[in-house]
Amino acid sequence: MSKRTGTDGSLLTSLPWTLGALTFSVLPHLQFLPIWVTVTFLGCSAWRMQVERKRWRLPPAWLRIILALMCFIGVLASFEAVSGVGPGSALLAVMAALKLLETKQRRDQFVLLFISIFLIMSSLLREQYLWSLPYLLAGVLFTMTAWLRMSDSRPVSVGQSLRTGTRMIAYSAPLMIAMWIFFPRIATPFWAVPIDTSSATSGLSDRMSPGDISSLSLSDAVAFRVTFDGEAPPPSKRYWRGLVLHRFNGRSWTGNDPSMGSGARREIETDGEPVSYQVTLEPTRQHWIFALDVPYEWNLSRTYMARQQQLARMQPVDQRINYSVVSYPDFRLSNDLSKSTQEYYTRIPPNSNTRTLALARKMRQEAGSSEEFINRVLRKFNAEEYYYTLQPPPLGRNPVDQFLFDSKRGFCEHYASAFAVMMRAAGIPSRIVLGYQGGEMNPMGKYMIVRQADAHAWTEVWLPGRGWYRVDPTAAVAPERIEEGRYGAMLDGIGASWGLEAPSQWLYRVTMTWDAMNAKWNEWILAYGPDNQGRFMEWLGMDEPDWRKMMLTLVTIVVALVGIISVLLMLRYRPPPKDHAARLYQKFTRAAGIEPEQGETPLTYALRLGDEKSEISGFANEITSLYLDARYGPSATLPMQQLRSAVTQFVQRP
Amino acid sequence: MPQGNTLESLPLGGDKPKVALDNAKRSLNNIILGKEAEISLALACLLARGHLLIEDLPGLGKTILAQSLARVLGLSFQRIQFTSDLLPADIVGVSIFRQETGQFEFQPGPVFAQLVLADEVNRATPKAQSALLEAMEERQVSVDGRTHELPSPYFVVATQNPSDQIGTFPLPESQLDRFLMRIELGYPNEENERALLTGTDRREMLTEVAPALTPDMLAALQKSAAKVHITDPLIDYVQALVRFTRESPDIEIGLSPRGSLALIAAARAHSFIEHHSGVFPDDVQAVFGSVAGHRLKPASNSAYRTPAELSRHVLDSVSIP
Repeated sequence: MSKRTGTDGSLLTSLPWTLGALTFSVLPHLQFLPIWVTVTFLGCSAWRMQVERKRWRLPPAWLRIILALMCFIGVLASFEAVSGVGPGSALLAVMAALKLLETKQRRDQFVLLFISIFLIMSSLLREQYLWSLPYLLAGVLFTMTAWLRMSDSRPVSVGQSLRTGTRMIAYSAPLMIAMWIFFPRIATPFWAVPIDTSSATSGLSDRMSPGDISSLSLSDAVAFRVTFDGEAPPPSKRYWRGLVLHRFNGRSWTGNDPSMGSGARREIETDGEPVSYQVTLEPTRQHWIFALDVPYEWNLSRTYMARQQQLARMQPVDQRINYSVVSYPDFRLSNDLSKSTQEYYTRIPPNSNTRTLALARKMRQEAGSSEEFINRVLRKFNAEEYYYTLQPPPLGRNPVDQFLFDSKRGFCEHYASAFAVMMRAAGIPSRIVLGYQGGEMNPMGKYMIVRQADAHAWTEVWLPGRGWYRVDPTAAVAPERIEEGRYGAMLDGIGASWGLEAPSQWLYRVTMTWDAMNAKWNEWILAYGPDNQGRFMEWLGMDEPDWRKMMLTLVTIVVALVGIISVLLMLRYRPPPKDHAARLYQKFTRAAGIEPEQGETPLTYALRLGDEKSEISGFANEITSLYLDARYGPSATLPMQQLRSAVTQFVQRP
Repeated sequence: MPQGNTLESLPLGGDKPKVALDNAKRSLNNIILGKEAEISLALACLLARGHLLIEDLPGLGKTILAQSLARVLGLSFQRIQFTSDLLPADIVGVSIFRQETGQFEFQPGPVFAQLVLADEVNRATPKAQSALLEAMEERQVSVDGRTHELPSPYFVVATQNPSDQIGTFPLPESQLDRFLMRIELGYPNEENERALLTGTDRREMLTEVAPALTPDMLAALQKSAAKVHITDPLIDYVQALVRFTRESPDIEIGLSPRGSLALIAAARAHSFIEHHSGVFPDDVQAVFGSVAGHRLKPASNSAYRTPAELSRHVLDSVSIP
């Protein structure tokens, strides 16, 4: 049996490029993949590099097969699937890493560069942030540069490969843009890749238990952005209605599944001026649509108003959506409530939170009227030692009791829950509204950002003759939270207890500018779906755009662009630049009137010239000899000067 | 007259070796009439420390050229007539047992001369041929486990009859590669032939010619020739030529890197002989046919059959950058 020899080190210069390109493309995936994928990738890269440096042997086939099987089983174990973005990218990453272990020649590296490009593109299936595009372009450029360096037989400087790569990408950019504009978009494409559902998005959930919202309050993620047609409403009116919870089991609140509530809209009595605005909602994977309390008109398809005036869409919000709404911040709801409905909204489990129930009933009796009772409860929150904090102590089986009498520390959900329970105990119909409160105007983009941290819970109580109306018990404890928004509260020192620093002015501006850019990105690039495409096509003058017309346009444009770019390239083509002496010599041959033939040396040319035009043979010999010295000799300066004057003399001869 | 920039660095100083080189060239041209280009090539080959293969029909002056080279350049000369019964020992020498000393003594063969003429090299068996070719390549000979250095400068001129003649063992391509150049002499023209017929006997002339160079001078010239200035555009040109030989459908086997190195070395030496300030495209073209001709293998369907035609085709197809 022949002993296998080690590597010859011939890949030592190209291997770092391959590894670089792979790292570039794997990087955006790693945070979503199990840690062992990263370890495998790094391990194989380091191993391969070391093999090349130390001239070791590559691992034998049986070992590679075992490793590949192990990786496959690993992916299967980690994801319990082989299809989808997660397992797919994990498989690609580990297989690329293993491919390194059998990379012997340039051709294998080309395969790896192909995989790199594929991996870079597949990262778009995960996220499409503003920085994704530059990152993607940089990744493609790096891979191209690596490619060029490996395919060029001549030694080329890195800068030169980079320039060539950039030029190639620049030439293909118009095609890219044309494809993006005209490639027909379908609402639910049949090629849709299953979206990674394991990565949870933050947002409100369908139920509310203590601690749910406070966990959100740490998230700076954007929930939605709002552009107002006129002035934005004052902070105290920025209640973004989401879902309504009305069933209480002693510990947590739940609501109905989204369903159409007939007549829910008719219960609204509008008052005052309407506010009209557009919302760009980040995906929530839920049905609820957020709108300023209370929404009255909206333009989102397959969206209806549910029983408690909350908006819901038939399909969950899996992608970022855009909609416009007209809301009435001043409103009245359902003056009439039947006895049975009133009874429904006052249901509480009788055997839990008994201390609260007793307290509520006692206070109700002392207060005399329902209004007075509500005021007293709010005053109790305000005057007594209740604190608004993000880190409330954990609560046990009777959370309301524990919160009201023992811990006295809580976040909006604790106050809303306690308040609603006390109302119900006193026989006043009440429910909890989940949504967002506040939102900050972005001075850079003239729109409002509402973040997950603005998630809020408040209550609605029903009084005869007044209907449902909003009572926010949190306002009684931390009025700054409502009046000034989250940032104001933080700046006011309450924030200090949250462990967050007040943002400095420039940081604030940078953040806001970045968000404004993101908003534009979302609005112009990511929101370009079937609707926007259709509208754009109509604007371009296409009647009744459908995919056939768009495809036809696309093909026409691509053919035209390829033609134009090719012609431009042909026009731009110049023979490689010649040096100074060569240019002067060319001037001479042109002036002589006889072109040198292909492969004809200057000396032969000078002889031919002397034969054919004997009158210039003196010039020809002199110039040729000077040219040869200037171009091929060791010192060019002197012959160069003489050549210049000789050629000038020749050209200007009578 | 443009000066080669390396002359100053000559150990013997001044222009003396260069003038002597011109004299040598002139003497050679006096003996062998009308073959200036071939003589330049032979000298260039020698200056580039390469070996020369002369291929032509008998009687065209191959042997006389080799003899004159040795004489004019002041080199010791040996001639080996290759025959089908020639043995390697006949070339490199043998160890003989000396009774008076009781030891083996190496008796050097004809290969131990500064200029060796291997006449009709393709008439010997491959075994004998390879003994010579190994000596050429290694510039040393190993006999009975002892290595003997060959003299310096060392120069082999082999002559070869066209391979389609009877009783020949043509040199394989790998061995042809050992020769820096392969030239053909060809028939003299009318005028020169007349001068040859009416003039003195060439062999007699040869004995009267004084050596123009010494081995030391030749070594110095070789050193200078290897340093002739070479510019980027010229290297571009050589690369373009080499690339063309590798890509052309007319050529089955293109030039190897050894071939392109040989081309540069020969062009340098030629430039040196021609007193060019640097290597000109003309130098490359002048040596291309003899350096590349025996290294290129025409494709079976090519219209260019002979090495000369093929080389001409390459030169005519590649533009000078």
